[in-house]
Amino acid sequence: MEHYSIHLTINGKKYTFFVTEEDTLLDVIREKAGLTGTKQGCGCGQCGACTVIMNQKAVNSCCILALQADGSEVETIEGLDSPSGLHPIQEAYIEKGAIQCGFCTPGMIMSTKALLDQNPQPSRPEIREALSGNICRCTGYTKIEEAVQAAAAKLKEVSHES
Amino acid sequence: MNHNFQTVSKPFPRHEAAAKASGKAVYTNDICLPGMVYGMILRSPYAHAKVLSIDLSEAEEMDEFLGAVLPEEVPDKLYNSSGNPPSPLLLKDEKILTDHPLCVGDRILAIAAETPAALRKAASRIQIRYELLPAANTMEEALAPASAPIQPHLSDTNILAERVAEQGDTEKGFLEADFIFEDDFHTSPMQHVALEPTSCICDFSDGVHLNIWSNSQTPYQERRILAELFSISENHVRIVKPAMGGGFGARQQLHNQPACALLSRKIRRPVKMINTREEEMYASVIRHEMETHLKFGVTKSGILTAFQTEYYLNCGPYTTHTPTIVAAASRKFQYRVPNYLFHGYTVATNGPVAGAFRGYGNAQLTFGRELMMSRIARQMHLDPIEFRLQNHVKAGEKFPAAAAAVTSCAIEKCAIRCREIQAEIDALEDLTENEDICQAWGVAFSCHGSGPSSKEGMSAALLLANDDGSIHLMTGSADIGQGSETMLMQIAAESLGIPLSSIRISAADTDKTPYDTGTFGSSQTYVSGNAVASACEDLIRKLIQALSVSFADTEVSFTEKKTFLIPSEKKELSLQEAVRHCAFGMKGMVLMGSSSYKAQESPNPFAVCMVKAEYEKKTNSITLKHVIEAVDVGTAINPLTVKGQIEGGICQGIGYALTESLEYNKKAGKTNSSDLLSYRIPLLGDMPEIHAEIVESYEPTGPHGAKSVGELCTVPVAPAIVDAVSQASKKKINRIPLSEFFLIKPNQARSCTAYTRR
Repeated sequence: MEHYSIHLTINGKKYTFFVTEEDTLLDVIREKAGLTGTKQGCGCGQCGACTVIMNQKAVNSCCILALQADGSEVETIEGLDSPSGLHPIQEAYIEKGAIQCGFCTPGMIMSTKALLDQNPQPSRPEIREALSGNICRCTGYTKIEEAVQAAAAKLKEVSHES
Repeated sequence: MNHNFQTVSKPFPRHEAAAKASGKAVYTNDICLPGMVYGMILRSPYAHAKVLSIDLSEAEEMDEFLGAVLPEEVPDKLYNSSGNPPSPLLLKDEKILTDHPLCVGDRILAIAAETPAALRKAASRIQIRYELLPAANTMEEALAPASAPIQPHLSDTNILAERVAEQGDTEKGFLEADFIFEDDFHTSPMQHVALEPTSCICDFSDGVHLNIWSNSQTPYQERRILAELFSISENHVRIVKPAMGGGFGARQQLHNQPACALLSRKIRRPVKMINTREEEMYASVIRHEMETHLKFGVTKSGILTAFQTEYYLNCGPYTTHTPTIVAAASRKFQYRVPNYLFHGYTVATNGPVAGAFRGYGNAQLTFGRELMMSRIARQMHLDPIEFRLQNHVKAGEKFPAAAAAVTSCAIEKCAIRCREIQAEIDALEDLTENEDICQAWGVAFSCHGSGPSSKEGMSAALLLANDDGSIHLMTGSADIGQGSETMLMQIAAESLGIPLSSIRISAADTDKTPYDTGTFGSSQTYVSGNAVASACEDLIRKLIQALSVSFADTEVSFTEKKTFLIPSEKKELSLQEAVRHCAFGMKGMVLMGSSSYKAQESPNPFAVCMVKAEYEKKTNSITLKHVIEAVDVGTAINPLTVKGQIEGGICQGIGYALTESLEYNKKAGKTNSSDLLSYRIPLLGDMPEIHAEIVESYEPTGPHGAKSVGELCTVPVAPAIVDAVSQASKKKINRIPLSEFFLIKPNQARSCTAYTRR
């Protein structure tokens, strides 16, 4: 099968990959870039476990062909924390008990980040809409919703301080 | 009650949460071994057929195709895949691969290739020819007199096992009753939809040592079954459970591991097998479809005189857990009734294979029972909660047909707490009833066990004291996402009087951690927790001995303050100081605590669930507004994770009641629900307001007073929902999911959080 070269920026780092027309963005992130934090739960865009941010939008990376992503900027779960510590969204998920098995967590957190990047103080209906593409089978979503609210409050504090 | 807990009963975030939040937690599919290749199972598309031929030739033309294991290459042995300890109830009836598939998804052959893409291509080039055979797709068909037996070596009919549990004389009990109530109920098959697909990596490449990484709830049982299947000893089988994306019972059994192991041995490479979501839906395991007939006898004053049930579970073609699930269901009748008769049947069909699912038979039977309890109360103009409480067993009394008495019960507190929250909600918003909209409340009770109700739970723990006094806790208990590792660390920290941060845990690696029966039956807090508490006592005893060598002239003791008292020195040492004191030198000692715990009890936790539902006539639609659930779980070791269990249990109960059903096409003999669009589980936007509450309670036989929570909390949700919807719609409903009858509308979340009491 023919291979094509694509250029991606993942978590601020530039990459060149050789991909086939069958490879998905998820395949590239997990298998070629070795960033296994992004999970595959269904492979057809129904569960949201593979959510990453591509050009500022939350996307199901299993439904995007690697060739379609050529030239994009991608953020994955590995791009959130820094040497100075965890991202406020990650802290909020941990503190609120919003993580159980954790398989949905990376995707859930990336959907949360995409929401809060665009809308720093979302209402409950806005949170519910933004996260309704991500299935969680463990938590019943109560603590996830609380974590998003807590993360928004934390980020507001950070932006006031800076 | 004031227990002065330091670590227990406190809401600690789980120890692995940061790794999960940053994508660093390692799940099975994140592991890559040197030389590892990819495998898959080719499965029967037919409910009953005979394989006539398998043609690999086109696949063999591919360089990247590595080989196949065929039905004739597997050991000529039947096995039972369920991860329970050995029991006469577990019937051996399946083979690793088969040329006589008995359901859609049955395993025919296993293949391997260098890459996932090559694997898919090879699979498409393999030709399997079948002869179609008649299939019994429903229990009705399977039980028809002309139906051929699906497991002829087990039974001449398709009833593969029967279970009777009885007390008193129900005929007499019904004669003594003033009123008889009876009805039939049906619950649909449900899939677990753990978000991580069923996954394993098997390395049997040297033909001697079998190493497996898999998302397993029961690694020690799986080790035993695999050792028996391959005629090797258990010390040559290692099963490691990495981080695990949920289980809910689905991984309380072997799936692809036996075939994957044989494939690895044949091609001499480690093989990774990850189910697709489609395989998860039609070829892994489901919750049993149930048919039941229930009959109650009640006196004028509302006292139960007799209860009788015929309870049928559709197990698919292989029994897996079914007879033990039937037995477990017979032990969950939480009301005082002198005359009790439970008659349960394991029914074979050519439908999907059913097995363990959170609730283990309890969810199905409780559905009908609790709906009936509400109906009986209303028909007799009694309050549904008071009617239940009046008949409910108390501590010291026994469930019908039970050997042991209930050791703790705070069901009244649960009911009171639910009613308080209901009153707060009713004060804040109307209970609408007009021409088009009708809102109503429904209620259900539930109970469960803590550990298997057969009392087969066993667990061991090891505590290694490091020389600085920090502790390494080793347990076989498998954390499948519910947070049991953190809970066990809290039990150890509390028992030893040290901070949680001083404990590190290793768990669920059959080579490195001691035996645990497995993560099922809501066992971890009670069974594994008691093992950890007992290992802590052993470590304390060893430390007293060690200190007695140093301080020979005095009697060393362990105090209520969790310190070691050295009277002659007028000193009190913390555990960490004591370990440091004993670690080195001429009188130094390596300190370890260990335990081997066998459950004597399976104490019952209890729950009350109330639901507010709305019915809109114009659209024949229903909406859930509120779900309240208050639980008696004894001491909640970690209230944060216990509330998480309740909320998650409620969500699964909502799915079960409203939309989840593995829809089966009788004509095609296969399920239509092969993905997560055609099988709809609740999303955040679907959720009503959730109120999860823990009432104060203490179980005398539990570790620091704890019972269980995992299964308990999902059981009462569906009957409470259907009760509320029946009240609101004025329709009698005896089956779920409700999407068969109504349009389901999501609750419009309030922007304010008036109900956020957490």
